[in-house]
Amino acid sequence: MVTKPDIEATGSSGFVDAENLAEALATLAQLGPKVTILAGGTDVMVQYLRGDVTPSTLLHVRQLMELKGSRVGEVTDMGALTTHWEIVSNPALRRAHPALAEAAATVGGRQTQNAGTVGGNVVNASPAADLLPALLVSGAGVTLKSALATRELTVEEFVVGRRSTQRRPEELVTRFSLQPVGPRTGETYLKIGRRGAMEVAIVGLAMRLAFDEEGVVVDARVAACAVGPRPFRSREAEARLVGSKLEKATVQEAGELLRGTAAPIDDSRATAAYRSRLLAPLLARATSTCLARASVEAD
Amino acid sequence: MELRLTVNGVARVLDVRPHATLLGVLRDSLFLTGTKRGCDEGECGACTVLVDGSAVDSCIVAALSVNGSRVDTVEGLAGRYGDLDGLQRGFVQTGAVQCGFCTPGFLMTLTAFMSENPDPNADELRTAIAGNICRCTGYSQIIEAARSAAANTPK
Repeated sequence: MVTKPDIEATGSSGFVDAENLAEALATLAQLGPKVTILAGGTDVMVQYLRGDVTPSTLLHVRQLMELKGSRVGEVTDMGALTTHWEIVSNPALRRAHPALAEAAATVGGRQTQNAGTVGGNVVNASPAADLLPALLVSGAGVTLKSALATRELTVEEFVVGRRSTQRRPEELVTRFSLQPVGPRTGETYLKIGRRGAMEVAIVGLAMRLAFDEEGVVVDARVAACAVGPRPFRSREAEARLVGSKLEKATVQEAGELLRGTAAPIDDSRATAAYRSRLLAPLLARATSTCLARASVEAD
Repeated sequence: MELRLTVNGVARVLDVRPHATLLGVLRDSLFLTGTKRGCDEGECGACTVLVDGSAVDSCIVAALSVNGSRVDTVEGLAGRYGDLDGLQRGFVQTGAVQCGFCTPGFLMTLTAFMSENPDPNADELRTAIAGNICRCTGYSQIIEAARSAAANTPK
């Protein structure tokens, strides 16, 4: 149990182990920008050890019951502390959110999945964050709380750029809301990396397609990561798919539209040109998987 | 700052810096050097320990974030008189130890996994050890060791 004199005594490098939401929000109200919020630590501790972030007060939130637990209903309510492994291993979540479960399964090894949380992945806002495309196609919302107020944003609004979100220094991300897959709907997350495990995505793509009885696409959501400063939805590609029966030419055009919305860069993992070339084939593969999972007949 | 842990069944009270890692505390304060420092960024799995039964990379766990927890390290696997546990015997019998640096991490990852799944197949084991790297590349023997330990465990 840490008390305020400890924060004073250790100056800019304290550790506050919050026992409940009120205590965490009070600490954020008091110290705001001087606080680094610590959940699973898989990003924060690495950044700290590499010297990418300067030592600040660590606010440990892992004990907060208000940020735990998930319930699948008409809307899925998911605590920000839900770990990647909890998503992978929870049958109800896997059924309602197959793309999210697939994305979580590609993150690190078991050690990372045990520690890393959905809230951490979103707030860290890496351009290659695996969970973000899956959350985007789930129409996810995020709840932020401060000592004074609660507000809700879509995840799409919340992540504004590379490692940049709308979270204010006094706010804590507490929960997410997600739309489960409906009837005649399929979704998937596909990831290209150099190896099967422990890999940061070269390109990641999530897709959710809903069909009518005739197999016509009535709703399409396409999101990609690692091909721009932040994971994004391609409204252009989505619009092209809606109303189609996934004819080959349509899918190719949607792939080209997705390429058009992407802004990949060269880095140590891959060139921008390679990332760009992957998008259309990945989108095509995703349409087949979504169709198969929605169990409707194609033309 | 005060840190209370139960390490391999022994209650410990330590004074640690706010940003200390669990790996640092285990190796430098408790001299439990079986847990290895490899990449120091949660990629290689050499520092894997169990916190309340779950495998984690101790190099990126803030020590104070696991205050009050039970921590199990490779030193806790063998019995009181140094008799190796089933998984350790499996590693010895199948030649799964080459340079040995990754071994404690693999042992802890597999200990946690096999408590959930006592009789895994080779594919399940390959997925389970995805977060551990053996740079001697002796993965086949490690899989074989886990299979042999499972076979020798009374059901």
